[in-house]
Amino acid sequence: MADEPACLARREFLLTGGKLVLLASVAGLPTPLLAQRAEFGAQRLSRLDELTLGKGLWFDYPRPGLANVLVKLGVPAGGGIGPERDIVAFSARCTHLGGDLGGSLQAAQQVLGPCPRHLTTFDLTRHGVVITGHATQSLPQVVLDLRGSELFAVGMMGLVFGAGATYG
Amino acid sequence: MAELAPPRPPKGADQFTTACDYCVVGCAYRVWRWPVKAGGAPDDTVPWANPAQHNLISWRGEAHHVLVLPDPEAHAVNPGGNHSMRGGTLAQKCHNPTNRTRERLGTPLLRVAGQLVPVSWDAAIEIMARVSQHVLKHHGEHAWGIKAYSYQYFENTYAITKLAFDAVGTPAFAPHDKCANTNDAAGLDDAGLEAFAPSYEDWGACEVLFCSGTDPFETKSTLFTQWIMHGARPDKTLIFATPHRTMGVAWGERAGGLWLPVLPGTDTLLHNAIARIIVERGWQDQAFIDRWIAQRWEVDQGLGRGTRNTPWQWRTTWGTFQSDWADYRAFVLGRDEHRLADAARLTGVPAEKMLRAAQLLAAPRADGSRPKASFMLEKGNYWSNNYLNSASFAALGLICGAGNRAGQVIGRGGGHQRGMVSAPGHPGWLSPEKYSGRRKKPLNLDRWLIDGKLRFAWVFGTTWIGAMAASKELERAIARHTVDQREQVGDTDPAAAAAALIARIEAGGLMLVDSDIYPVAPLNTRYADLVLPAATWGEADFTRCNGERRLRLYQAFADAPGEAKPDWWAVQAFARRMGWGERFAWTSASAVFEEAARHSRGGAYDYHELVQEARRQGTTGHALLARMGSDGIQTPVRRAHGRLFGTPRLHDPDNALADANAWRNKLIQAFNTHSGKAVLLKSPWNFPGWSEFYEAAKPRPEKNELWITNGRVNENWQSGFDDLRKPYTAARGLPQMLFMNPEDAAARGIASGDRVRVVNDTVYVLTGMPVGVESTDQHFKALLAAGHIKVTQGDFEAVAILDPGMRQGVAKAGFNHPAGPANAVCHAVPDPLTNNYRYKLGRGRVERLGVSEFVEDLQGVSLKARGLI
Repeated sequence: MADEPACLARREFLLTGGKLVLLASVAGLPTPLLAQRAEFGAQRLSRLDELTLGKGLWFDYPRPGLANVLVKLGVPAGGGIGPERDIVAFSARCTHLGGDLGGSLQAAQQVLGPCPRHLTTFDLTRHGVVITGHATQSLPQVVLDLRGSELFAVGMMGLVFGAGATYG
Repeated sequence: MAELAPPRPPKGADQFTTACDYCVVGCAYRVWRWPVKAGGAPDDTVPWANPAQHNLISWRGEAHHVLVLPDPEAHAVNPGGNHSMRGGTLAQKCHNPTNRTRERLGTPLLRVAGQLVPVSWDAAIEIMARVSQHVLKHHGEHAWGIKAYSYQYFENTYAITKLAFDAVGTPAFAPHDKCANTNDAAGLDDAGLEAFAPSYEDWGACEVLFCSGTDPFETKSTLFTQWIMHGARPDKTLIFATPHRTMGVAWGERAGGLWLPVLPGTDTLLHNAIARIIVERGWQDQAFIDRWIAQRWEVDQGLGRGTRNTPWQWRTTWGTFQSDWADYRAFVLGRDEHRLADAARLTGVPAEKMLRAAQLLAAPRADGSRPKASFMLEKGNYWSNNYLNSASFAALGLICGAGNRAGQVIGRGGGHQRGMVSAPGHPGWLSPEKYSGRRKKPLNLDRWLIDGKLRFAWVFGTTWIGAMAASKELERAIARHTVDQREQVGDTDPAAAAAALIARIEAGGLMLVDSDIYPVAPLNTRYADLVLPAATWGEADFTRCNGERRLRLYQAFADAPGEAKPDWWAVQAFARRMGWGERFAWTSASAVFEEAARHSRGGAYDYHELVQEARRQGTTGHALLARMGSDGIQTPVRRAHGRLFGTPRLHDPDNALADANAWRNKLIQAFNTHSGKAVLLKSPWNFPGWSEFYEAAKPRPEKNELWITNGRVNENWQSGFDDLRKPYTAARGLPQMLFMNPEDAAARGIASGDRVRVVNDTVYVLTGMPVGVESTDQHFKALLAAGHIKVTQGDFEAVAILDPGMRQGVAKAGFNHPAGPANAVCHAVPDPLTNNYRYKLGRGRVERLGVSEFVEDLQGVSLKARGLI
């Protein structure tokens, strides 16, 4: 994850634009919005060699009920880890209105979606950016860590639809 | 723990109802506003919001939070909180000096020695008035023109048209999307169909929907996701005629529908070939035809649509197009090009798909019942072959029994919302242009400008250059008449500035004024002499209708930046200085709305009864409308039993209401013709007003050209004036995209993400003022021979996206992207039947320039196809 900081900096810009500057400049605001990366406890997901190209591994994180998918795409991806930098994980809850993306992985196209509710698609090679549709936020990306040959989820980048400060 | 979600409003926060500022759907929204300094427990009844739905704004000089969310109390349009990516980011269009919305215009600007410098409103109005008085006195009203949006709220459009038509009395007026003050889908109008007759419930209640020249998923998103995907018949079958298989098309196909990948401009043949199959097999809705299709004597006796000497009278009474059922039937059956094999070759749509479309639309079921079919058209249809495509589509819908009942409707999907109430005056009769013979034709403002006839132009809220065909040629003409002139303003003194501009005008030049909310390149950044700052959505109270004629109040909740004012205010200030103050004596926005009401009477957006009711109640029109919230009321507004009623669907005989004023608006219960019946129109493919142009405009194989069409994409509304400044869309980069079929791309050595240039070295532009005696005199070959067609060049740059959903032979660019005006490769030769451009018929060769930055940028815009499903 050597290039992650630069990536995250851009990622924050993607998600917040000038808002951090704005809020910092307004007196009396109780809680400034902070970075879009939230760290949670590490959760083991898989051994590297257990992953099959294009086959999604579904898991809840950071709490039960918040589904995500881990997938080896076969092409390098933003935030991807592993030897090919092609392993990524994303929230499976559509950022438009919370639709369940659980059945909509198009791994060969590196796409999650279309959401069964309103057909938004997300590009898994580009930090979950919207390809087409109605969402106004990228798909939250799970921060991954490779510890030896074990993959762990360690945090989230972006806001899961309906989630509050603690994803509670 | 990091807080990612925006703050929640406290209990008691101010609330406002409004509707979306953007596409025609006009979703219902609610605004919560509370001071940054306010405390208090959060209101848990407010729906969850994401950061794009929050902003900080100024209200009466104090910092306030706002949330702008789909109205949880809405019963119409988008109940349940659905939104598009436009409406989902409404909060972020609000002026906030800490982000790119800081670029909002806040003071009038005068171009002095090439630089825009701030001046007062008084000085700006003084300069405009002095120059206008000179132009009107020495050059006449024809030399004083307006180019204005037709949609940005009733208050503004009424004031602008009152200035143009009543006070100045000029025929030099064109709306944002047309070169002349014409109607959009004239074939619909001539058939007697109001373009926005259907309600959204109708689009939801049909069993088969034929979408021509549009995928409503892209930019009519909530109409698609709320009503077409769902509605009363979520199992409906979708048929799309469009060269691009975007997401809505892909979803429709997967659900058993059809994609008809039609070649641009050939929809007429597609419609007529499908109609031929239907008529051959006797699948037409004969009972409907017998009851509702005008017979020959009804067309003749009523002179088509009216007795006046008008374009529509000419089109509907002179044989080529006018028809009745027997004549239409003979036309559809009798022409070779309507046979499947011929039509398949010319349209590029496989014969079996046309056959299947006819079955879906009209084949009676085993029990004898008919499918409820509806017909939606939009710009891919009528901006490619304006008259023939819209007339043939109307006829196809009518023989299938659609047009005036639930789930069986014909209409436009729409682009903008419906925000025009035109003031009276109708100086169109002053237009020097004529159809062949003596019938008045609306003035082509682009040609008028290019030919040097325009000496003063006031532009309201449109890019003009990028929005019009042959954009580069139009830009060259604007430059020639403004910044390239010797006479330029040297200082800000109003008398001196006006004198310099008058000197320029006397040398053949033009004074250009542009009212807008942002710097608009190049119109006001490079060329306008005077730039006026406009207040917009959320900064002043405004009204308008959406795509089902739903009238709402769009409430103000934020300060406009600096001295920005609503356009009606600027018009009033100018009119007062011109000495017309008595006619522009409004004291409030509602006063404009109330005055305009009487001029809405008889039309689809008639709200006269609402204003009358407000007066009875001793309140204002705006105040009464505010009480109706984000549901508003569907026009025409009617009154019976002491109550106001909306009108969900037009032309419907079941709209009976004990309504003393029913006589006033025929649209409510009948078709919009003299007889109240619909007119079947013929649309001959070899009509030379079309066929000669089509042959000249086609891509040339020897130059390796493609059709270069254009269309809206979800993430870029209009010129991107807001999207390019909203954080999420802006951060993606939002380049102009050119969707290409992978084989077309491979043949040109182009890969996804490559930067390309599209060049058309033969862009035809109509010049001079062709006078026609014979009808053929205004067709393409005669115009060319007479020297009225100028050959120019146009090009634009884009990022190629390879998309297997793009039909071969056609590439599609985003519409009106500021970084790559796709209209530059389109011909500015209007349809001789309507004076409308054929924007979707661009052509060009596509040259690879190299790899764009978007290929390597994994944090940027996606380069994937639109219809991945």
